[in-house]
Amino acid sequence: MRRRWAAGLAVALVAGCSSPAWNDRDYELKAAESAEAVGSAVEAVRLAVGGDGRLTRPYLKVLLTGAAEQVQGVNDQFGGVQPPSERARRLGERLLEVTERAEKAVAGLLTEVRRDRVADPAGAVRELAGLGRTLRRFQEEHG
Amino acid sequence: MKKFLGITLGILTAIGGFVDIGDLVANALVGSRFGMSLAWVVLLGVLGICVFAEMSGRIAAVSRRAVFDLVRERLGPRAGLVNLGASFLILALTVAAEIGGAALALELATGVDYLVWVPAVAFAAWLVMWRVKFETLERVFGLAGLALVIFIVALWQLGPDWGQLWEQATRPAPPRDEGLPTYFYYAIALLGGAMTPYEVFFFSSGGVEEKWTRRDLSVARANVLVGFPLGGLLSLAIAACAATVFLPAHVQVDSLGQMVLPVALGAGQVGLALVILGVFAATFGATLEVALSSGYSLSQYFGWQWGKFVRPREAARFHATILVVVIVATALVLTTIDPIMVTEYSLVFAAAALPLTYLPVLLIANDRDYMQDKVNGRFSNTLGTAFMILLIVVSIAAIPLMLATKAGQ
Repeated sequence: MRRRWAAGLAVALVAGCSSPAWNDRDYELKAAESAEAVGSAVEAVRLAVGGDGRLTRPYLKVLLTGAAEQVQGVNDQFGGVQPPSERARRLGERLLEVTERAEKAVAGLLTEVRRDRVADPAGAVRELAGLGRTLRRFQEEHG
Repeated sequence: MKKFLGITLGILTAIGGFVDIGDLVANALVGSRFGMSLAWVVLLGVLGICVFAEMSGRIAAVSRRAVFDLVRERLGPRAGLVNLGASFLILALTVAAEIGGAALALELATGVDYLVWVPAVAFAAWLVMWRVKFETLERVFGLAGLALVIFIVALWQLGPDWGQLWEQATRPAPPRDEGLPTYFYYAIALLGGAMTPYEVFFFSSGGVEEKWTRRDLSVARANVLVGFPLGGLLSLAIAACAATVFLPAHVQVDSLGQMVLPVALGAGQVGLALVILGVFAATFGATLEVALSSGYSLSQYFGWQWGKFVRPREAARFHATILVVVIVATALVLTTIDPIMVTEYSLVFAAAALPLTYLPVLLIANDRDYMQDKVNGRFSNTLGTAFMILLIVVSIAAIPLMLATKAGQ
């Protein structure tokens, strides 16, 4: 009896951590919300990197750290959601492919700022603008 | 000339002291999501705080007693205790938000994690409250808060589409991708930010601290009726900056770093330095005001000696209350809870408790036993009653809207 309770508790804990979606539509909405959150962080970083010369290094570092944590947090949270179907799994993979690219881009910029400054602001702005557009399109299609 | 200087200084202090972490967060957040379509709430909130702050200043000047001092006497101990309980919890939450805000400003200036700054900010705040004269602390941080005028300069430099901002402001409706419940949830948060309850506790107790008499009524009125609306202009500038930079880019502001970004983009490094100084002064000054307000409210309810016009030894329980509130608030921020989130919740809870704060002010301002010939006139009563009805509606709607919109998500 005690073992059954322990197993139940373990299942509940795992389920709690990975927050399952009720159905395909629920999963799709979660994906759209994640795209919106990552898109917001990416656009904020784009604006900051675009004005690189006007910002102090400590300020830019704090801003990028916050954005990197936000994107990573969303990726971890959405990555933990169990897709209810094969279609949902493919949708999730499509989103994660973009958001992981965003995570890598923001983390890379943060490393550059920690060392000195953004090496190629114009290139970074172009990359972030592209990611932002893709994420917004995803959000509009599935939100 | 001396009186003119006094009035000018008071007005400048009121402008700089008007904005705190709640106004910063609420206006930047709302500007980034709703543009200027909630500007009417800021105007309404400024009118509301002017109406009730004028009443509480008049109460202090005529009766020579602070509002909370009279609440228990006028409404009885039970009603006073309900009022005290609600206000005190919100005050403690607000102190946490303000300490967090000041620490975040230091993080932006230095790049050192805000959690390292939290104990230092709390200790400095306690030391200032313990050692520095009331008038000095009010003036220094109020005037330093004027650095936030850089939001207006930055807005000008950003070269926004003024016509579009005006169109948003004159069309009070949510944008296409935002729902009506979320719109009203943020309207309530904005109103909570503009009409923060501690402002009347601090204003009326401050009047007693500075020994106001009937002769000071004109100065008090000038501070409120000129200083607060100009402070409201700063709030609108914060929202307009966010609407100009973030709304087209679909950025939903969620950190202090993002809130000041429009200033850096518009006014460069000098602007960035000024806005960080302004945010620090506004939040640190508000930490002092809110922590003192918690000491005022508890001491006035229980009839303890209070105030900075006596030596700390003579108002030991007043100073002990402040110390405990600062320690509890610091511990809350050190749990690593997001200070911006604490601010958002404190705004909504403050909005829910607004009638508890403002009803006693309206009642006492109408009581001839305390106010003699300076009771409310018809104009003040009409405005005061209209606001009470509005605040009751806001109070009923605040928590259900918070739950329904998942805190505005």
